[in-house]
Amino acid sequence: MKELHKLLDRIVQRVNINLRELEFDVNPLVNKLIPAGQMTKFYAFYGITPHHALNLVFKHSNLSGSYFLGKVRVTNSLLYKSDIRGDELKKNGDLFQYQDFNIPVDQDEEISIDDSFLIKTLVHNYSHDPETLETFFIRDTVSAHYANIHGSPTDGSFLGPFATVDLTTIRDCVIGAYSYVQAGEVSHLRIDPGTVWVRKPGDFNFMYRYPIGQLSNYVYFAAGSPPQGAFMDFLEDRKEAFERVFNVVNIETPESVPASASLDRFAVIKPKTKIGENVLVAQRAFLQNSVLGKGANAQENCYIINAKLEGNNVTAHGAKIIEADLGKNVFVGFNSFLRGRPGARVTIGQDSVIMPHTIIDVRKPLTIPPGHLVWGLVQNPNDLQTNSMSLKDFSKIDSRMCKGAMLFEGSGSSFVSGFQERIHHILEANGAFYDGKLKRGHAQRNQNISFNTIQPYPEGDKAGLYPTIIIQP
Amino acid sequence: MKNYLVKDLMVPISEYAAVPEGATLFEAVLALEKAQEQFNQTRYSHRAVLILDKQKKVVGKLSQMDFLGALEPRDANLEQIRNFKQFGFSRKAVALQQEEYLKSSPPILDFYSKAARKKVTEYMQRPTEGEYVDENASLDMALHQLTAGSNLSLLVTRGAEIVGVLRLSDGFAAVYHSMKESELQKTLGET
Repeated sequence: MKELHKLLDRIVQRVNINLRELEFDVNPLVNKLIPAGQMTKFYAFYGITPHHALNLVFKHSNLSGSYFLGKVRVTNSLLYKSDIRGDELKKNGDLFQYQDFNIPVDQDEEISIDDSFLIKTLVHNYSHDPETLETFFIRDTVSAHYANIHGSPTDGSFLGPFATVDLTTIRDCVIGAYSYVQAGEVSHLRIDPGTVWVRKPGDFNFMYRYPIGQLSNYVYFAAGSPPQGAFMDFLEDRKEAFERVFNVVNIETPESVPASASLDRFAVIKPKTKIGENVLVAQRAFLQNSVLGKGANAQENCYIINAKLEGNNVTAHGAKIIEADLGKNVFVGFNSFLRGRPGARVTIGQDSVIMPHTIIDVRKPLTIPPGHLVWGLVQNPNDLQTNSMSLKDFSKIDSRMCKGAMLFEGSGSSFVSGFQERIHHILEANGAFYDGKLKRGHAQRNQNISFNTIQPYPEGDKAGLYPTIIIQP
Repeated sequence: MKNYLVKDLMVPISEYAAVPEGATLFEAVLALEKAQEQFNQTRYSHRAVLILDKQKKVVGKLSQMDFLGALEPRDANLEQIRNFKQFGFSRKAVALQQEEYLKSSPPILDFYSKAARKKVTEYMQRPTEGEYVDENASLDMALHQLTAGSNLSLLVTRGAEIVGVLRLSDGFAAVYHSMKESELQKTLGET
């Protein structure tokens, strides 16, 4: 296991060199965070379908429990139970639109991970950086539990647990726990835990900060121990269900899955769950006693429990919906945590947008009217009043506005239409609008995936390291 | 321009407001008020208080800006808001958010009352190398030190001893009067 330790030291040193200006040391945070025994315990796996590229190259890395799809290269890295989903990468011949430019893509895009340590991290989408069209890179980076690196080339950075970088190139940044950043391009920034920041320079700027103190009830991360708080407790309580899914080779699928829907074999489906047409359920999703109407989806690390989703609902990576009723076209953003309780359900009217990294946690019934935008921490109707607005009213903002801990500056109309267009694109990509012939998406293309497993050296100096593996058609 | 020396323009240390290291912000303000009353009213007013150690050596300076800064409410949430500028927000937007946050804070007078009891040493600025000037230095040199370091005043030395304070306002007045005099003479010469 000597090589594995050397590799971790190398990664930590490289990340620290990049973060020296911010005086940030990742070593105390990640050292012994994942016991070495765990790194050798799990197999890695990859998917094969006729609809996706197959070009995987693994060199001098540990891939424990991680999943790969598409065109991915991993070098000198540690990937622990991470999902590297290359099913939305750009293809040779595509045109990438950036501002007034239409830039041709010269070769199939590749996810390239170098000198990085990713823990239970999701990597998805494609590089939105016009300077690196064909490479979605992640290098000299450490990301903690349940972070999302979504369409975001990342260099020399640290992402705390449940942090998300979305459509943003980040260099030499620290992204605090449960922070969400969608800002185009950022560098040398230290972003405090619980920051939700959505910026389109010259157009709009949205910022919400969780009150210091209250966030730590949900997620708390400090040197010397894994992340703690309600999010981790919630996940730990359901961990066992996933162990069975990963241990059993041939797993039974629920009888009533329509032909146009896709249910990943590495998802957990508990009894009394109903799957509608064009539904997409990704790996590591957890469904229990819930109804997913036509075109709804549950992406990686989503939990939908005792809930009803009317249809065309986007439940983005890592979102949790418990004891809730969602109207049609409701969007629930990355890592949001919506927790009603028996007799205290959360009801969300159609076309509402729950911003990424929103926490709705109630002990009395709560109703969000149709067409509303909700952000931040909502524990009662007063919080909802402060942390929500109708999309119509939000669209009217044309200078700046402050509501509670939310600050917005710029064009509300651009902000709202940007969200709506993106939601439409996600539904389209997921195959929600498939009509039996046209508009295929992930729900149709991801059916019948074959999964192969790969394993590391079992003992000796190289224990835990995978040999160099090249997988091509 | 008349060739002034620093000692021609400085305020002697004995006339300057000063408090010992252990003083509170309120005591510093009282010292400033007293010095102002005693000082020649035809000149520019006092704008800072010197902080002296037990040997009467100047260890710091509390400016009006430092004083007002000490009265600014401070907590971790406010510090975060004040950092919003680095995320691309305008000053107006940051002020708006700060105002919103302060609505739910305790009354400002309570805060002033607490701040008044704080020690001056918490808020004073310790003089840096570029803030000392010899009493026999020319005004030109002193002006350069004031502008290059964005200083509001300089401590004037005689050997190891601090003998006065040269304020930006004194430097400005000297330059302004010299310029005015010279321009008027030119005009008279032309006519």
